[in-house]
Amino acid sequence: MTSRRARRRIETARRVLAHPGALASTLFLVLTVSLAFLAPWVLPIDPLHQELSASLEPPSAQYWFGADELGRDLLARVVYGARTSLVTAGGAVAIAALVGIPIGLVAGFFGGWRDAVLMRFIDVLLALPNILFAMALIAVLGRSQLAALVAVGITGVPSFARITRAQVLSLRQRDFVLAVEALGGSSSYTMFTTVLPNSLSPILVQVVVLSSVAILLEAALSFLGVGIPPPTPSWGDLLRTGKSFLYEAPTYAVLPGIALTLTILSLDTLGRTLAAVLEDRREVAAVPGREEGRT
Amino acid sequence: MAQGFTRRQGMVGSLAIGAAAALAAPSASGQALKGGRLRVALLADIANFDPHQFSAINMPIMKNCYDSLIEYTAEGKAIPNLASAWQVAGDSKSVTLTLRGDVRFHGGGALDAEAVATNLRKCADPVKGKNIFPTMSIVQDWTVVDPRTIRLNFKAPVPERQITDLLQFISIIDPAVIDTVETKAGGTGPFTVAERLPGQRLVLAANKSYWRTGEPVASEVVMTVFSDNDAASAALESGAVDVIYGGGARAAVRLRNNGFQVFQGPGPLVQVFRINTTRGPFRNAKFRQAFNHLMDRAAILRVGYAGMGQVTALPWAPASPAADPAYNARYAFDIEKARALLKESGLSDAEMKDWKILVDGGNQDNVAITQIVQGTLARAGIQVDLDVKQGAEYVDALLTGKFAATFGGVGNVQKFPSRLTTNSIYRVANNPVLGNPHPHPEYVQAIARVDGALGTGPEVKAAYDNLNKVLVEVAFGVATNTYDIGLIVAAKNIGGVTLDIDNILVCRTMGFR
Repeated sequence: MTSRRARRRIETARRVLAHPGALASTLFLVLTVSLAFLAPWVLPIDPLHQELSASLEPPSAQYWFGADELGRDLLARVVYGARTSLVTAGGAVAIAALVGIPIGLVAGFFGGWRDAVLMRFIDVLLALPNILFAMALIAVLGRSQLAALVAVGITGVPSFARITRAQVLSLRQRDFVLAVEALGGSSSYTMFTTVLPNSLSPILVQVVVLSSVAILLEAALSFLGVGIPPPTPSWGDLLRTGKSFLYEAPTYAVLPGIALTLTILSLDTLGRTLAAVLEDRREVAAVPGREEGRT
Repeated sequence: MAQGFTRRQGMVGSLAIGAAAALAAPSASGQALKGGRLRVALLADIANFDPHQFSAINMPIMKNCYDSLIEYTAEGKAIPNLASAWQVAGDSKSVTLTLRGDVRFHGGGALDAEAVATNLRKCADPVKGKNIFPTMSIVQDWTVVDPRTIRLNFKAPVPERQITDLLQFISIIDPAVIDTVETKAGGTGPFTVAERLPGQRLVLAANKSYWRTGEPVASEVVMTVFSDNDAASAALESGAVDVIYGGGARAAVRLRNNGFQVFQGPGPLVQVFRINTTRGPFRNAKFRQAFNHLMDRAAILRVGYAGMGQVTALPWAPASPAADPAYNARYAFDIEKARALLKESGLSDAEMKDWKILVDGGNQDNVAITQIVQGTLARAGIQVDLDVKQGAEYVDALLTGKFAATFGGVGNVQKFPSRLTTNSIYRVANNPVLGNPHPHPEYVQAIARVDGALGTGPEVKAAYDNLNKVLVEVAFGVATNTYDIGLIVAAKNIGGVTLDIDNILVCRTMGFR
């Protein structure tokens, strides 16, 4: 069973990477993540170190991306800003998944009043504009990376809950689920060992999609001045500050903007390709006689 | 307030009679300027039409719809305005004003002493007087001597500069609209309000019966509210507006480099690192004094204000009579001196770090200069975090003392030195940051000594010197630099720009070359 799953995952990965756009996106994301988390070793420049005499220096051999208004190295700030964005996005997606998936699972599996109550709660969350909700939450929690992470994470809960619920509803009456129940499987056993594993494909796609949304939302919060407080570098804050120096130091805003755009584009491309590959696989699996449940 | 004081006092004091035309502010006459529609970009809408709300937000209308009793030249010399003359009594306990006889309000009524008395009543009201009220605290009462003469009586002898500051501060509102002035303008000024679309536009039309000959030059002023500085700059560069009023220094420098005219008035603000001496390590005087040397003033001016302004270790503009440039060298940025004072404080490392710097997150200049101080503190071995707040939350924290330390601009720094006490951190009574009673009596005494030093002799200079010495010793406000409020950037064809002592926008002399 395990080797069959592993083979299937490898096959999925192979089909995703066969797409040139997805391959380029993956390479870019691997590079970005590696740089962000290995920054202290591969780029030993303190992103907080001020060299006020180098204020707004253009790109040079010493400052590859130039320097900001306080003479801080912009390359270091972009790289460490990636770390901020990725940690925030990763944490936010984890929060959204940990809260949203169980909600969707319980609502879809049991239905009835549980479904109604949980989905109305999700409707309330959905009715609030993400950015306003996040700003309100940060106003209550105070400005910090943790607050931004929680705020962005909570805005992602509805999408995980709805996708999981939809997937569970489509699986709930399938033969392999009913078979597990007929054999005496408890509700929690059936939910977590039978239904959930078979719902993971769209959830996986949602993880990728929500990562890009979370990065963008964190950047938007920082751009609006309510994100992670200075002097911690973040892409949104670099864009916000850099736009005031577009004439004197165009690289200040443009380079973090390019990094942000490429990251979002890469995640989006990867997500779309993954969704297309998984959809193909599901269509193949849905051919009569080929249906299979992973129990 | 009683108004029954009718005893005529001997007036043998200084006499300031208008040599009017010669002393008047720069005029458009003789500069061959053409009139027409003057288009002005504002960075924020006005709050209301009340000139007694003497704050930056109302600066676009104060001198355009109203006139004050007297004026200052850009150099700080008092000159006649609605009052054609003023005479300070020999005992410095009263001033008698003679009003012009040819001035009419926009509504048609004539300016007289009763109208001025009505305005004084408003100014003396704690609520209606708004920003003028604290300055009116020196006034005991007033007497209408005749239709063109009014006398203000003071509670105690008042230095002449403080008297002229008060007279220059008071703009005269038409008594017919004085109760509704927030929504309906009515003064004697060169323009009347033709249209107002809140948040968008304010249109002023020339006052045809204005008392100054040949002014206003422009027949109409259209003030458009822009959402941000870059949009206003683009409008000026594209020819959509003729003037930007109140924009930022960095944009002004760029526009100046592109051939636009930039006018810096004599009434800047001073950026002050405000220290709450009732909190944490700031209770320790040596610790506070270290901050006199921890301010990299040149870098703060360059990074925060594109170099437009001057470094200063005291909270005075260069035009202030108390300004003393020697302090800039004596209290220059010197991290070793700061370290020595920190050591003298006897505080442990943990105690020195037990605070945060409050930052106005909505003000990018404020964020930048605060990070400079944060970096400097780190070099001195003190790692502190920033407490970033926005908008009303920040203003509330600033004005109610909910901070350990923060940057904030102070105004009235080019006037009589004790006017500094109109700023919250410098108040001598009911100080919202430092509390009651004032924790630094030596500062309160120094202000009282300045207020009591009459004339122009050495005792006045000694009082100013003493105040300066006390300011750097108590160190609850560490000045760093002057910066411009009410900066004017104008197209090349605009002439007749008048610089106001408070950097208030004066449109009456502006025209097209």
